[in-house]
Amino acid sequence: MSQLDWAVLIGTIAFIVLYGVWKTRKTRNMSGYLKADNTERWWMMGLAIMATQASAITFLSTPGQAFEDGMRFIQFYFGLPLAMVVLSATAIPIYYRLKVYTAYEYLESRFDLKTRSLAAMLFLLQRGLSTGITIYAPAIILSAILGWNLTGTILFIGVVVIFYTVVGGAKAVSQTQRLQMAVMLGGMLVAAVVVVRLLPEQVSFPDAMVVAGKLGKLNLVDLSFNPNDRYNLWSGLIGGFFLALSYFGTDQSQVGRYLGGETIAQSRLGLLMNGLVKVPMQFLILMVGVLVFVFYQFHQPPLYFNQQQAAKVMASEAAPAWRQLEQESTTAFEQKRAAALAMIQGYKAGDDAAVETAAQQAQQAEVVRKEARLQAQELVKSQNNGVNLKDTDYVFLTFVTQQLPTGLVGLLLAVVLCAAMGSTASAFNSLASTTVVDVYKRSLRPNASDNHYVQASRWFTVGWGAVSILFALFAQQLENLIQAVNILGSLFYGTILGVFIAAFYFKTLKGNAVFWAAVLTQAIIFLLYYFTPIAYLWYNLIGCALVVGLGYLLQPLLPPNNTSAALTD
Amino acid sequence: MTKGDIDPPPFFKKWSSMYWLVLAVLAVLIVVFYLITVSYR
Repeated sequence: MSQLDWAVLIGTIAFIVLYGVWKTRKTRNMSGYLKADNTERWWMMGLAIMATQASAITFLSTPGQAFEDGMRFIQFYFGLPLAMVVLSATAIPIYYRLKVYTAYEYLESRFDLKTRSLAAMLFLLQRGLSTGITIYAPAIILSAILGWNLTGTILFIGVVVIFYTVVGGAKAVSQTQRLQMAVMLGGMLVAAVVVVRLLPEQVSFPDAMVVAGKLGKLNLVDLSFNPNDRYNLWSGLIGGFFLALSYFGTDQSQVGRYLGGETIAQSRLGLLMNGLVKVPMQFLILMVGVLVFVFYQFHQPPLYFNQQQAAKVMASEAAPAWRQLEQESTTAFEQKRAAALAMIQGYKAGDDAAVETAAQQAQQAEVVRKEARLQAQELVKSQNNGVNLKDTDYVFLTFVTQQLPTGLVGLLLAVVLCAAMGSTASAFNSLASTTVVDVYKRSLRPNASDNHYVQASRWFTVGWGAVSILFALFAQQLENLIQAVNILGSLFYGTILGVFIAAFYFKTLKGNAVFWAAVLTQAIIFLLYYFTPIAYLWYNLIGCALVVGLGYLLQPLLPPNNTSAALTD
Repeated sequence: MTKGDIDPPPFFKKWSSMYWLVLAVLAVLIVVFYLITVSYR
């Protein structure tokens, strides 16, 4: 990396962190620390909500996913705008009326303490585990491609985020996230423009779209219904809706962002802004991945994008086999490049038959290249059993570091680090606020001063930060653990959402029944995961339906206890 | 606190124009994406 890139990277990160700390240095009370004193405008919350969801892996994995699998991942986000509308209409007014600090406080008003504690604990477990990965995932990729020290990268991200989150709480998270989001969106827009400019002279943007389309990368909408397929219109609209409903409605890392609004109207607008902007933003990121794919139709890509692992194979006895695969891949690349150029010529001449013939040749060459890549993965596995074989996470950053001009490399790396910091900061802040409000203040020290709780929040932020960093450092040893934790996290959402849906819409359900229904549902979801091939997006819908259904089944069998029954009408 | 505090408000009572805008934009995007999918297949 050049000095200019380092200057851009360090300058951007340092400016954002110092700005956030300076603007929020006077935060003293609990409302300011955990809810930003209810001073947030809609666009600030909209940006904070998007920055919380956009982790570094969004900017590393998503272009790689488009590179390998096309743009069908976009369908995953189709349910999100629907969820934003439902939450704006239902959840936000309730949270505001009750003046809660966390989503789980509401559950005690509606059901009882144990249901509130169960939901808070499931959140702490799920978010506490996954935050370590939010730090680890980009650190491993940055260290592999740029040669950065892995432990140093993990410590840098973790410690910087702990620093500004401890100083300014939710206010600092929000102040920094709006700048981070500006860097992320600006960086990706610049990347999209630069990739098009890096294409060969005779290849325009429409030509690039023809090549991408014929090679199956513009597969944005799939109307077929298959519950075992992750990405089609229906799993996106239905499964994605329930996932977004649980993530934005019941996950404190998101709820905490919009509880700080000036008014209900501002919070609603913040969520609706997310609903309007998210799908186009993901489209942009996926489009960058597709353009990188087209770029590599005219410039030879590496056989395997994780160069660190490739180097290990080359240093082993498997090197001759690897070179053979590289040769096969090169031949396939040359055939594909010729076919892609023929496709473009046919397209410009309006010759559909020539386009189709060239497309078939390109597709055949693509099959050969994919086969060579699969065999390359086997060789990597033979040298390092347990390593994550998927190299698509490395595609975008490899392209950035090898092809982009000086200065832009620093900007794009700033995008990745900003994304890592924004999502990690929200996680630390929400873990601390849930621990203080739902556990410490509620059950351990109920009558301490406001200042005491602010100090406790600071210490819990440090504590959760330390746990996440330790987990990220530990994850180096156990690559498979990461997958397990990622899956584990997605298995909890349906249950938590079910508890909230029961609270919002099923007024006759009582606390005892919902609590035990939630416990049973969680067990059933684990069984479904181990014994059925159902795609994980559907667990949200299934978990939700199970909590409500089992709640009604169990209610006659359990003694009623409902604190809301004591409330006046 | 009254029982009304923990009940959700009537759906779409206010704000419906903003909600419809979000849904309309989503519908337009899905149609555009579908057209891209079929025309570049």
